Amino acid sequence: MAAPASSSASSSKLERLSATSRTKDLTDSDSEDMVLVAAHQEAENAKYIKSVTSPLQDLLSTQTWQVQEETLEAVLPYLEGNPNDFDLNTFGIPKLQRIQHVRFLNNALQKYPAAFMAIDASRPWFLYWSLQGLTALGQDISDYDERVVYTFAASQHPSGGFGGGHGQLPHLAATYAALLSLVIVGTPEAYASVNRSTMYSFLGRMKQADGGFTMALNGEEDIRGAFCALVALSLLNLPLELPPDAPVREQGLTSFLDGLTDWISRCQTFEGGISASPGQEAHGAYAFCGLGCLSILGSPKDTINKHLDVPSLLHWLSSRQCAPEGGFNGRTNKLVDGCYSHWVGGCWPLVEAAVGKGIANRAALGRYILSAAQFKKGGLIDKPGKRPDAYHSCYNLAGLSAMQHEHKYDETKSGEVGKEGLGGPYHWQQDGLYGGEKVWDDDDMLNRVHPVFIVPWGKAEACRGYFEEQGSL
Amino acid sequence: MAPKKFYHDDPAWSDVEPIPQDDGGPYPLAAIAYTDEYREAMSYLRAVMAKNEASQRVLALTEHIISMNPAHYTVWLYRAKTLSALSVPLSEEIAWLNPTALRHIKNYQIWHHRQTIINQLGSPKGESDFITSMLAQDSKNYHVWSYRQWLVQRFNIYTDEELAWTESMIDEDIRNNSAWNHRFFLVFGKSKDAIPSQEIIDRELDYAKSAIRKAPQNQSPWNYLRGAVRHVKLPVSTLKQFALEFADTEKPDEVFSSHALDVLADVYAEEKGMEEQARRALELLAERYDPIRKQYWNYRMGLLGEGRVV
Repeated sequence: MAAPASSSASSSKLERLSATSRTKDLTDSDSEDMVLVAAHQEAENAKYIKSVTSPLQDLLSTQTWQVQEETLEAVLPYLEGNPNDFDLNTFGIPKLQRIQHVRFLNNALQKYPAAFMAIDASRPWFLYWSLQGLTALGQDISDYDERVVYTFAASQHPSGGFGGGHGQLPHLAATYAALLSLVIVGTPEAYASVNRSTMYSFLGRMKQADGGFTMALNGEEDIRGAFCALVALSLLNLPLELPPDAPVREQGLTSFLDGLTDWISRCQTFEGGISASPGQEAHGAYAFCGLGCLSILGSPKDTINKHLDVPSLLHWLSSRQCAPEGGFNGRTNKLVDGCYSHWVGGCWPLVEAAVGKGIANRAALGRYILSAAQFKKGGLIDKPGKRPDAYHSCYNLAGLSAMQHEHKYDETKSGEVGKEGLGGPYHWQQDGLYGGEKVWDDDDMLNRVHPVFIVPWGKAEACRGYFEEQGSL
Repeated sequence: MAPKKFYHDDPAWSDVEPIPQDDGGPYPLAAIAYTDEYREAMSYLRAVMAKNEASQRVLALTEHIISMNPAHYTVWLYRAKTLSALSVPLSEEIAWLNPTALRHIKNYQIWHHRQTIINQLGSPKGESDFITSMLAQDSKNYHVWSYRQWLVQRFNIYTDEELAWTESMIDEDIRNNSAWNHRFFLVFGKSKDAIPSQEIIDRELDYAKSAIRKAPQNQSPWNYLRGAVRHVKLPVSTLKQFALEFADTEKPDEVFSSHALDVLADVYAEEKGMEEQARRALELLAERYDPIRKQYWNYRMGLLGEGRVV
């Protein structure tokens, strides 16, 4: 938690500057100018922070209040000053540290020491987060193509679906991460490496009588299951009719979609957000899964308005933006965390397509990501004081990309791909760049990301197109 | 630290041919340099899973792997399957699970495993105390609260005692939204359409109101209040007098809660001829009392003209 205070950071900068000036390049007056510029920038930032801070604060001290105070103490120096000494963009905000993030994410794909054994069941995620992050940063990842295919070949289960690694049971989270990684690679070899017919049968075993999906056989049932299953059914163009051996056929279900939208509606809580399963607490990551489901089932305008109470959803979603931090938290009275830049930030394009208006404060989120969520040596983080990882890197970048670009949903569904079945998510169109208040320059731009699948623009459509050509099973 | 355990020289395992790890081709990505101990144990697990073996030695093997890597869903699922095949006394499993869970609180698998076992045991005895000890470490842990909700539902524990416990959690930290969610689940969540008696509705509204009076910027009880009113199909104007205690659009310098302004904006939007007051409340939020959500308040202002309410 201990973050350097802005004053000590600027004095260390002063020392560094005067040390440099003693060498050769900088004259004394140059360094004084730079210090003045930095001081001016800090004053500007302080003014901004004040402008987004509510004057209303309760003083009743509880544990929630204490950790919130500690968080502010850690974050504010980064919003106000520049403790990492990053180069600033024309808005006086740290530039996107592209080269360092690329290096970090390339490293995240390399071999891990034994201390990382705990990630044995999540290796597919490390591939997905790294590949998605790298492509968002504009990197060509084709050098990895073959290795991605081989790596997942070992974790595809003979009974269908993917596990975390060789011999691990098939699991919908691993399946989701594996499929999206193969979609990012996007070669015929990558597509062909997926065994669609065993996948179909695996998905059939996950469907539950109440309409939802479990993550694994006899595993937990939650809205991640429904989302991951729909992603697989849609990308692979699989039939919506349940396989003949699906256990829930005994309860009279015949389709993957039976009872599903009702089940999703039941996940919307009294706060307006969406929970892991009915009755639980509204949470940003589950909200994205729920909205993702509805955006695969049809046009967001139709499905979100039909199956959710939109006013309370908007109320809850907009409440996720922390002030003055600008980043999002995942639940009421929780702390800002860079990963919600996507989980909550990624809800906005889907919801805005449903209501037809821009509602998120994109500039404030961009400011949090660039100022407070970039780690000095590369990679992105939860909040200042934390270490970077592939997960926070991927989802901070996905959130920033979602803020920078505009997409719109083509209600006429004029494209060639996605005419039938779960074809809803293949009708998004580019709609230029965000034109409102922003804090990023051209140099800070990320590549456009598909709002439902969180893969590079065009890749999901290519995959679906490939499997439409393959025809039915 | 426990001594290292290997299987290749253990006579009890001499009949098993381990299946070595395949990381995925000659140049796998994100491969892990496992310890020899872990690598070998996993190779034996793959072998027993391939023959679908359920035995005491499999239980010991899964326990060994879990001690090295508790975040391994395959091991947990196979352990549950083995337990069920062997008819082991499940109370022993719970006794083993307790210290393991305390060490690895943020772990999906442990909670799901516990749910599987308690479901088969058919009794929630001791579970409440265990959960309370877990929440003492991490009072907003999503898995723990979700497990508690499953327990209430499975064993029909919609009791006064459960409500009193929830209240004690809220008393401890009035901003603990997970505890508020649990209260809503207990009082209103038994079935989607069931509306509690007027007495209970009044009790709940009063409870949330008294919490708001202690800290008017705490959004949890405000959400509870609005959620309750919506659930029992009362108009939002039910909350007008209460909201006026904390904000009045006529007195813009005397606002004590942005959430009260938010409620008033909805109340006035529904009230005939009060559209200007609604707009005033939203302007105060956008410009002064909750400026980070300016776009959202502006969006709500845009709806006023359309004669729609939020």
